Amino acid sequence: MEEVIIPIIVVPILFIGLPWLVFHYITRWKTAATLTTDDERLMEELYDLARRLDDRMCSIERIMTAENPNWRAIACDPASTGIEDLTRSPAAARRIGQ
Amino acid sequence: MSAKHTKFYLDKENRKWKGVCSGIADYTGVDVTIIRIGLVILTFVGGFPWTFIAYWVAAWLAPVKPRELAFETPEQTKFWQGVRASPARTVRDVRSRFREIDRRLAEVETYVTSSNSRLAREIEQLR
Repeated sequence: MEEVIIPIIVVPILFIGLPWLVFHYITRWKTAATLTTDDERLMEELYDLARRLDDRMCSIERIMTAENPNWRAIACDPASTGIEDLTRSPAAARRIGQ
Repeated sequence: MSAKHTKFYLDKENRKWKGVCSGIADYTGVDVTIIRIGLVILTFVGGFPWTFIAYWVAAWLAPVKPRELAFETPEQTKFWQGVRASPARTVRDVRSRFREIDRRLAEVETYVTSSNSRLAREIEQLR
């Protein structure tokens, strides 16, 4: 009895179940989202662009700081602090700028 | 058609034997010495035939690194290692950089516009 039942169970598992499992995962793997060459190029370009913009921003900020050291304070609070404060007491202006 | 950056290649330039370990190092960014020592330890600990089989299969299946990818700056190499590890994180990283630039630019813009209006006011007062 057992000699008949065991092959009946094992053979379908080996020849149907196992390939099914393998192909199931192969198809899932094939349909998984992967980066195409275009995606890669786009990503590299965006990264490069971000880096360049960052550099430009840094140089602009440097120029602004050279022109007017407390420009950040003015930008944050444009109403009260101003150019008048800067001319009147440079020390105070420097404190605001920091 | 340029070569893909997100594939595993054998790194023949820094090879000891077939270039699999240096390829793994190039792919992941982990130091090549650590990978080699790890593989040797794994072989001694009990993976005796299997590490060799895996090594040979990798050496046989993986293509050699294309020459156009060989001329990368260290920064580019690092960038692509990050992309291979997690493209989503790289995209988030780039997005955060753009946001940061946007914020700084807004600051500069506020200053420029407010200082212009301030200058106009000063000129008005002088009249």
